[in-house]
Amino acid sequence: AAEEAPSTSRGAGSSQEARSSSSQGSRRAEASPEVGPRSQQQLELKVAELVQFLLIKDQKKIPIKRTDILKHVIGDYKDIFPDLLKLAAERLEYVFGYKLVELEPKSNTYILINTLEPVEEDAEVRGDQGTPTTGLLMIVLGLIFMKGNTIKETEVWDFLRRLGVYPTKKHLVFGDPKKLITEEFVRQRYLEYRRIPHTDPVDYELQWGPRTNLETSKMKVLKFVAKVHNQDPKDWPAQYCEALADEEARARPETSGPAPSS
Amino acid sequence: MEEGRAERRRRTEAPSHTQGGPRRAGVMTDVHRRFLQLLMTHGVLEEGDVRRLQNHCYRVHDRSAAVEELEDFINNINSVLESLYIEIKKGATEDDGRPVYALVNLATTSVSKMASDFAENELDLFRKALELIIDSETGFASSTNILNLVDQLKGKKMRKKEAEQVLQKFVQNKWLIEKEGEFTLHSRAILEMEQYIRETYPDAVKICNICHSLLIQGQSCETCGIRMHLPCVAKYFQSNSEPRCPHCNDYWPHEIPEVFDPEKEREAGTSRATKRSLRSRQH
Repeated sequence: AAEEAPSTSRGAGSSQEARSSSSQGSRRAEASPEVGPRSQQQLELKVAELVQFLLIKDQKKIPIKRTDILKHVIGDYKDIFPDLLKLAAERLEYVFGYKLVELEPKSNTYILINTLEPVEEDAEVRGDQGTPTTGLLMIVLGLIFMKGNTIKETEVWDFLRRLGVYPTKKHLVFGDPKKLITEEFVRQRYLEYRRIPHTDPVDYELQWGPRTNLETSKMKVLKFVAKVHNQDPKDWPAQYCEALADEEARARPETSGPAPSS
Repeated sequence: MEEGRAERRRRTEAPSHTQGGPRRAGVMTDVHRRFLQLLMTHGVLEEGDVRRLQNHCYRVHDRSAAVEELEDFINNINSVLESLYIEIKKGATEDDGRPVYALVNLATTSVSKMASDFAENELDLFRKALELIIDSETGFASSTNILNLVDQLKGKKMRKKEAEQVLQKFVQNKWLIEKEGEFTLHSRAILEMEQYIRETYPDAVKICNICHSLLIQGQSCETCGIRMHLPCVAKYFQSNSEPRCPHCNDYWPHEIPEVFDPEKEREAGTSRATKRSLRSRQH
């Protein structure tokens, strides 16, 4: 049922005219992939496709590769890819409140950052789990930061055990915590998981991933930790200083901005 | 951007709108953006929950403002969504006429929510189920009949056991509804795919005589064969002691359902939860 009429990204062959269906007020339009000046409507449709593609891909929280965008959506419109991406980014931000950012400079992968702050009551009205702003991920992010931005996997489990979360035991809420932390969160780029060389038995270290730095901040995580302990962020002077410095660095205008690079 | 805009007619178009002139799109604020973001997390949402969602968004961003009338609120957002070829579409459940909303794609492109969630053979299974549902008299296709088609699926080979699970996935994701071993389309699927279905199966498709929309489940006149949705029957024959077919005037032989009343639902409160568990999983 999802295999509808040929998309605009397929090459050569039938060029179909854009037409509007008058029934029910809905319409069906396609752009023909001819070389040369494209109509306003064709461009509009391309941007629309791109916006939808980015939204759908980001829902899975996996960074979107430029190569995938070119392959599945842009196709013959490759020559104006940067313009299409810019237009799509503008629409995403204006209409949905999502900012398109490159995961790391020159990585050619993108994620969507929410410009709206998540609110606790969102959980009551949403239809899915949402981004893990509280819960296991935040706890791990907090642990990592408080321990000096890197922590051994064994230390993580030592801590989580106290909360009834074990690497080998199925958890009622988190399912498979080991898989969640060492695979899922890593795949989503919230965490980095690296083997520590020359350790026996093998141990791994965990650090913040690039998505974490884009979606949250040291100060936000420190505030979370403080809240959990019912204390003030300033009760941890070293971390508080570090978080402040991070805030200042963020406030400074960036030379390589988060806008998608061409 | 303005070219072609005058051609487009939307169902929710305000009657006072003049033809021909460029339409001024509404303005998006954080209230609307949060609403859209959260609406997108649902495949389809009942009107009561949509109102709750709207109220939530006002509370977060603009406590002092008066909550705009839902229809205007949605029309406003739709005028902005128009250039992205999507819209918040309103429909009704076929069994009891509950108003529901879904964010649907207006242009047929290769990018679709369903295509991204399922593999090639799973999509083909859905297509097969869809065809059986459309061809059926009742709007339901039996599990057995669907599963018998697994050998014909495109893509990776699928066994019947696996296909059973895929069908359950469709139910969980609100593309299908299951009732006593038979499957029909969820209101989400009807909202999203009506256009596609009418274009792909023009001969097999059934249309409601009253609202002229796609009909999967409904009642039919035994004399002349016209069909009507259950909620359309309810509205058309409301407080009519002698219901007659609007087309051939023969006596309408079926039980006339009650018109959906949101007030009654709210009053019912806990009894609604009981009713829900007895009914098929719809929402």
